[in-house]
Amino acid sequence: MVLFTLILAPLLLLLLFLIVRPKPIIIPIKNRHVFISGGSSGIGLALAQKAVSEGARVSLLARSLHKLEEAQKSIREAHGVDVAIFSADVRDNNAVERAVAESGPIDVLVVNQGIFVPGALENQASDVIKSVIDVNLTGSFNVIKAALPWMKNRKDGAPASIALMSSQAGQVGIYGYSAYSATKFGLRGLAEALQQELISDNIHVSVIYPPDTQTPGFEQERKIRPELAGIIMGSGGGALSAEEVAKKSLDGIKSGSFSIWFNLEGYMLGFSGAGFSPQTSFPVAFLEIAFAGLSRLAALFFVWSWYRIIQKKHAN
Amino acid sequence: MLIFIILAPIFLLLLYFIVQPQPVSIPIKGRHVFITGGSSGIGLALAHKAISEGARVSLLARSLSKLEEAKKSLHLAYGVDVGIFAADVRDYDAVKRAIVEAGPIDVLVVNQGIFVPQELEKQDMDEVKLMIDVNLVGSFNVIKAALPLMKGRKDSRPASIALMSSQAGQVGIYGYSAYSASKFGLRGLAEALQQELISDDIHISVIYPPDTETPGLEEERKIRPKMTEMIAGSGSVLKAEEVAKKTLDGIKSGSFSISFRMEGKMLAIATAGASPQRSFLIAFFEVVLAGISRIVTLLFLSNVYRSIRKSHAI
Repeated sequence: MVLFTLILAPLLLLLLFLIVRPKPIIIPIKNRHVFISGGSSGIGLALAQKAVSEGARVSLLARSLHKLEEAQKSIREAHGVDVAIFSADVRDNNAVERAVAESGPIDVLVVNQGIFVPGALENQASDVIKSVIDVNLTGSFNVIKAALPWMKNRKDGAPASIALMSSQAGQVGIYGYSAYSATKFGLRGLAEALQQELISDNIHVSVIYPPDTQTPGFEQERKIRPELAGIIMGSGGGALSAEEVAKKSLDGIKSGSFSIWFNLEGYMLGFSGAGFSPQTSFPVAFLEIAFAGLSRLAALFFVWSWYRIIQKKHAN
Repeated sequence: MLIFIILAPIFLLLLYFIVQPQPVSIPIKGRHVFITGGSSGIGLALAHKAISEGARVSLLARSLSKLEEAKKSLHLAYGVDVGIFAADVRDYDAVKRAIVEAGPIDVLVVNQGIFVPQELEKQDMDEVKLMIDVNLVGSFNVIKAALPLMKGRKDSRPASIALMSSQAGQVGIYGYSAYSASKFGLRGLAEALQQELISDDIHISVIYPPDTETPGLEEERKIRPKMTEMIAGSGSVLKAEEVAKKTLDGIKSGSFSISFRMEGKMLAIATAGASPQRSFLIAFFEVVLAGISRIVTLLFLSNVYRSIRKSHAI
């Protein structure tokens, strides 16, 4: 029995080493152009700080010129470096195109803008739902489409990256997050298709799945989060700092990882929902296979616990 | 080996106790089934099936003339009248009016969809917006409009909201970035919504058909990029009647995920994630076959990327 496993495991590892596609890649950051949408605060700003500290040239896109100027100032104070700032609403493709053209060819595009307005679907206004989808999903298409020609025609022959900011709510739908989860799940469908379309241009797609992260946005959101959502989500790990998320995200982007997960819950959800997302690392592929069943079992336990919480609350 | 034979029943018992939500039966006969995108394709086939099982059916679609043709064909086939409502799902107010006029709904089938395959780089943002607005925002509009009446329904039997996704909502494929985005999105919506509506005895189903013989598919195949056809063209093409039958069966048994043929079941196991599973038997297979199915998907992806490399080298 043990012998069986001892022989099979290395064979499986060898098979995986031979078949995992796309192949692993290193994407350098130093002296390259990193363009971050939603970059004036939260995770986007933390990413900008990290990228600047690693020698990248950074551009930020966001709606509020005022917030962008503050972000620019804080980065200048921390690193003595100037980032370029562009004010535009991601829903306006002309404005986005102008900003992207002005910023110049992009090596690493971080599509990070997002709004979340928690609330049970029946309590959310239809125009609020539409704006969440317009900003988080359609807006991401706008940003990517605007940047693509500039990315495909980059001068250096080095690999480029498009990183999409999803969420653990993009790995599992949660009470009160129907619109937000819909957009974050959507980013994954976009990413899987896009990677197939862009691999020949040496552009590598990453999808980032952070849990609750300490950002101004999160502060706002917690105040209006439905009670049940809080209880259900509280059953996961605690909130991470934006710096932690930024560091892991950048590490993942630099190693061309398709899926970037955080904490135990994130990995469990990642393994149980591996689906058809590519895996460039054959050791991680091995772990995905070895822990797939256990992860699905763990996910079923989580689902069971959530529905018990909901039932109990309803009974009261 | 013996260990497995002993473990399996214990494991099955464990699963029996933990699968949530619990299994449920949702009757169709004599109840009101409301189908968006119901004037053609899978929606129309669903209407046929539902009527043949004694349901009262309403159809919502954009084109009044297509709706009238559908109504005529259903009347000819069954001698029964369906309610028809012309509205664009992107227009919340129009959808709301139609749904209020149709009356309380027992089974809502959110089935409208637009499908235009193309590489994102080449695709017009207008087409991208169209797919996201009709397939995703439109679905939110329909559900939101129907919810108050569904929650306030008089009969105490379980109700259903069924969302028409696609195998492209389980795997993103070359040329389908916008379509896959909208169909993946339906799943996030469904998982969240089920948690919100379980206490109202409303049960969510997400349907993942492969290519299905419909007027829509014919149009789509004409413009499908070559690479898309190479990757996705080798799967089965089902008849709309088969999809409708399995869909309705899945809705009636309150299945959260409805898939088709062996291929579809493999896809479902590979993408199980944290979706609810009400059948402890299927849950057992999901856990036991999870590892193997990841090997299979990695092999599939390896093939896909090899094809792309080869085609690019030419």
